[in-house]
Order: sequence, then structure tokens, then C-alpha cells
Amino acid sequence: MTATESDRGSELHAAGLDGQNRTALGRLLGTGSIGYAEEGSDGVMRATVRIPEDELIWEPSILVFPHGGDVELTLINDDKNTHCAVLPSDGDPKIIWLVNHSKGSARLHLGGPGTYYYGSTTGNDEGRGLTAALVFGGEVPDSAKIDRPAQPRP
Amino acid sequence: MTDYVDAGEAVPHKTLSATKGEAPATSDVNHERIQNATSEPENWLTYYGTYDGQRHSRLDGINRDNVKKLVPAWVFQAGSVGLQSGSSTYSFEASPLIVEGVMYVSGPEGKLWAIDATTGEELWRYRHASPYDVSLCCGNVNRGVAVGHGKVYLYTLNAHLIALDAQTGDLVFDVVNGDVRAGESGTVAPLIVKDKVIVGSSGGEFGLRGHLDAFDAQTGERQWRCYTIPKPGEPGSETWPDDGEAWQRGGANCWVTPTYDPELELLYQGTGNPAPDFDGGVREGDNLYTDSTIAVDVNTGEIRWHYQFTPHDLWDYDSTMENVLFDAPDGRKLLAHADKNGYFFVLDRTNGELVRVFPFVDRITWGEITPEGKVTAKVYPDEEGVPVHFWPGPAGGKEWTHMAYSPNTGLIYVPVQEVGATATRRRREFKESIPYWGAGVAVDLDDHYGFVAAIDPLTGEEKWRWRNEFPMCASTLSTGGGLVFQGTPTGEFVALDEQTGEKLWSFQCGSGHHSSPSTYSVNGRQYIAVPTGWGGWVEGFLPGLLGAAAGSAIFVFALPEN
Repeated sequence: MTATESDRGSELHAAGLDGQNRTALGRLLGTGSIGYAEEGSDGVMRATVRIPEDELIWEPSILVFPHGGDVELTLINDDKNTHCAVLPSDGDPKIIWLVNHSKGSARLHLGGPGTYYYGSTTGNDEGRGLTAALVFGGEVPDSAKIDRPAQPRP
Repeated sequence: MTDYVDAGEAVPHKTLSATKGEAPATSDVNHERIQNATSEPENWLTYYGTYDGQRHSRLDGINRDNVKKLVPAWVFQAGSVGLQSGSSTYSFEASPLIVEGVMYVSGPEGKLWAIDATTGEELWRYRHASPYDVSLCCGNVNRGVAVGHGKVYLYTLNAHLIALDAQTGDLVFDVVNGDVRAGESGTVAPLIVKDKVIVGSSGGEFGLRGHLDAFDAQTGERQWRCYTIPKPGEPGSETWPDDGEAWQRGGANCWVTPTYDPELELLYQGTGNPAPDFDGGVREGDNLYTDSTIAVDVNTGEIRWHYQFTPHDLWDYDSTMENVLFDAPDGRKLLAHADKNGYFFVLDRTNGELVRVFPFVDRITWGEITPEGKVTAKVYPDEEGVPVHFWPGPAGGKEWTHMAYSPNTGLIYVPVQEVGATATRRRREFKESIPYWGAGVAVDLDDHYGFVAAIDPLTGEEKWRWRNEFPMCASTLSTGGGLVFQGTPTGEFVALDEQTGEKLWSFQCGSGHHSSPSTYSVNGRQYIAVPTGWGGWVEGFLPGLLGAAAGSAIFVFALPEN
């Protein structure tokens, strides 16, 4: 973690934005830790996310994948309330119901690059922090690129 | 602590709905059938209904005498779950296709449905996952699908061409055709021609190099790509600075479906604005093939001829909108195009020769085009930091929403927008994926109106107009019942008399129209289908209604069964 990220975490904490019912009612979206998926020899990218007790957050809140493709998520609810996850996937979003102290999985296909959000869409959860990001890096195939010299990026 | 409760594996969201999961089998839709689509008006087989773009149906079950009895037959609500791309800009822009009682229609956010066209029952659904951060220059929108070869084709927000099994909605192939890191996206309705499926680029505000692409409809293998900005040394490259990089970012995207002449085997593709939109100082020259109609050989992707409507555009006057094909009484093969710049063009579609040009809006201040086609710019952002007001604004006298041609009246029914804008040149350097306008722009919040104009393309005469308080931002539909259907920005769907423009019927749909209605019949009963849902690039074509109610529904109307 860089010094800047540490400062950012301290600032969020000092402002009361990184927890439930502090400054705001819920936890600010986009806070929480960053995790990285691991790509298996079969090309599937795997990661685990968890709902800690009384935090109403997915941890890690930001999962980074090296490129688009097949994903297997393990989802664990360590909370003492029931939640769910509606996750984007090509073809149709996928849904899993997560009762208290449960564990399940989701197989997704996401093309990337770019950011996809998922969350618990049950009545008590949306807006409180249970919205998290699946971020895919990489480039589009060469066949999809524009025939021109490399361009400056921000 | 005990072991975790086994929550199992996540299941598709649609399994928790009443969607049936399968559509009835239909006869194969192939090139020959689409080519002869006029002869089966019970179906709406391709984006414009027919290859010629006339948006006219011979169906006459609903007509001037009985249209007052028209009532909703069913409504389909699209809805949404969770965060979505460009969430404030979604709009239902599609033109529904109908094949033998099955409707195929796309919505925003990569959604596509097969629906029972008589009841509104959802037969199957598909949703292509779209990155939240994909650049969408003009909203979270999609203009429709193509159906043929047993498949349904969709071009997604992140520029994937996907093909689905028409009966089950299962994925057949998924081909990436654009670079989202360059600000590219996909919004156009694909077009099936022969064994090909045709799509083009979106992203006109990001400094792309526009292109039109053909893929094998069965496999998704690329057949050709036609760039709409020439490289140095290619024909047309002399219209770009010799020593610069401007051509690499030149624009000319192809975000509206082309029309097609099967006899000439030419696609008529409108091209978008140059980039940067308003700063011409970094791209001296005419900037071909921006703001043009290009006639593209469907077999090779080569440009056979072109006609540029706004050389060296400084007003964001895309010419992507449709080119309607019709024949003069003497048999001359013509093409009609109502441009953003406020002028209506009639060209000889065999060679691009100008036949006629005349204004079709009331207020044009940006410049002038003579009857011979000579273009003179008069008012444009030139001096850095100096505001310039001009009409039409950057959404044009007519934007992408389509006009319709009735072979019965010989008239073209044009949805017209009367709204101006102020642009102030603000030069900026190019960075890939960052908007590249070269100006600050504010479209007028008032002093706007609209109308449907009935125009004789052979004379330029406006036969009638139906005036509306707000600009017209939806496509017209012409029918054999002597009617012209038109949706308004405030939600009314109206039927006009094709001869007089008299309003004969209207229905309030609850959200503004920015789509293309279609018509079909099942078991002899005619239906009119119109997606509703105000949104898209509202700040461009009608910012005075930026706060209007959004929506996302398909309304289908029919006469009472008894």
C-alpha cells in the first residue's frame, strides 16, 4: 500500500466515512480494501469476498482481475444478517442468496476491460455499502483496435 | 463456530422470473427475404423495415377512419437492477423487429428480449454485461437488433458484436470490434446483407478514427473494415493537414444503420462529425469523409463515391442519419437525406451527384448552401474564448431519429428540431479516452419548437407541417392506412393524417419518445409498437427537458378485437 492510499484510508476514517452509522448512514461506496484475483492454469480467475459482521461491506471491496474472461468467486457471509449478491455476467446477472454464516460461489464471464459493480439487492442493504467492484484490466484484441499510431493517454 | 451453511452456486437472475426461456421457431430470415420485406408487411424484418429506409408499411388495418379507436394492447416494462453504465442517460431508442409473431427488441444496458408480439409475454432475455465506466458519448442506448440466419445480432455498449440463437437466446458468438480504451462504443442496430452482418463505430466525441465493419453472419469472422478517415496517401487524405496527426483522431463514426440498394450492391452510410467537433484550427481542410454519405461496396468495403454535406464542420453536424432510397417517376434512382445542418439533400444514388438541396428548417445561421451545393460558412467558433450562437444547434435540424417516405403520397415525413446553441472555442490537446470537443457548448434552454414536415423530395415543397411546442426527437412511421405516427418529447404518441397533417389520435405514454416505432400484424390484426423512455443526449437536442421523467417501456397499440 502506498503512502497516498494510507493517507486516503486515514482521511476516510477521520471523516467517519468508512463505517456504518458514523458521519453518514452507511459506508461510502468505493471504500474498503483492494484484492487481486489469481489466475489458474485453466485460465479461470478466482477470488474470495466476504461480508464481515455488522460492516455491510464486501471485503475486499475492489477486486482486480488481469483481463476479461471466466471468473469464479467464493462468497462468504460472516454477518449475523441475511444478504444476497447480484453479480454481472454476460448473458444474465447471477444471483445468490446468502443467509447468516453461509458460503457459496458464482461463475461469471465478463469481457472487460472496465469496471463492473455488484451488490446485495435486498431491501435493507442497497446504499449502505454492500456494493463492490470487479475491475478488469487489459486491452481489447489487436483485431478490434483502430489502425493508427499509438495515441497519448491521460 | 459451525461450518458455513452451503449457499450453493449463483443462478441466472432470469430463472427467478416468469420468462419462458424459449421463443417459437420461425421461418428462416435470409437476405432474399429481407430484400423482399415489402411483400410481407405482417413482419418488420430489418431496422428500417426495408433496406431502402422508407419506414413505410403497407398495413392498412389501422387507418384514418378507425385510428381514433386505437388502444394499448400490452405494455412491456424493461426496468433495471443495480448500477448501470451512464445511469442518467439511458434511453429506449430501439426499433422493434417482428418475425411471425415474435418481437425482438433491445434496450439500454446490453438488454435484449424476445417477446410474444400479441401478448407482451417475455419469451427469453439476454443481457450483455456492460462496464460501468465505458465511455458513452451520447447515452446508454441501443438502436436495435438484426434478425436472420436463425440468429439475433446485437452490437453492445462495449463494442462487441454478439449473435444469439433466435429461438433460445443462447450465445452463438461474441466478437470484439472496438476499443473501449479509445472511447469507442457500440449503439447501432446491425444490418444483415447477404451472408454478412454490418455494424459501425460510435464515440464521435472521443477522437476516434471511424469505421464500418462486415462480419460473417454465421461465424463472426471479419470480412472487411472500411475506415471513414483516409490514411496519408489514400484518396481523400489531401483534405487533412499534411504534417499533422489530425487524421488519426478524425471522427466520421458510423453510429446509424446504413440503407442498402441490392441492385447496386451499395450500402449508404452516413458518417459523423470530425474531431475535435468545434476546433477546426487543428484540422484544416474539408476533412473527408466526415459529415458525408459514403456509398460502400457491400462485397469489398470499398468506398465507391461520397458526398460531403458540411465540409470542415465546426458545429458538430454529423451526417450519420439515414439515407432514404426512392425512385423518381422517370426511374432515376435517388437518395434523400435531411442533414443536421438544416438542409435536405436529394442525390443520385448511383453516383452521388447532387440533384437538389433546400432548407427544411426555419432558422439557419451557421452558413448557407446554394441550390448548386456550394457551402459557405458564416458563423462559427473561431476565436478562442469568444461565444458564438448558431442555428441549428449541434443536434441539428434533425438528428438520428428517422424520417419516413410514403410511396402513396410521395412525401417524406421529417421530424424537425428547432433549437440553437452557443459554442465557445476552447482548444485542448488530445488524450485517448477523454472527450475531445475543442469548445464549451451550451444548447438553448428556450426559444425552441418542433414539427413534423411533409416534404415533397421532388420539388422541395413543404406540403404541411404539424407543429409542436418542443422539438421532435423521435422517428416517424408511415403506414398504408394513410397515417404518420410520431412520438413527442413529452410522451404523447400521435397519429397524423398523411395528406393534411391533422392530428387524428394521441396517447400519453408517460415518458418522452426517442425511438423508432414499427408496425406488424398477427392473424390479421395490426399492431403499432413504440419504445418509450426519455433520455440519451438530451443536453444536445432538448436540454429544456433534461428534468423530464425517464422511462423504459414498450407500448403496443391495436384496435379493439371486437
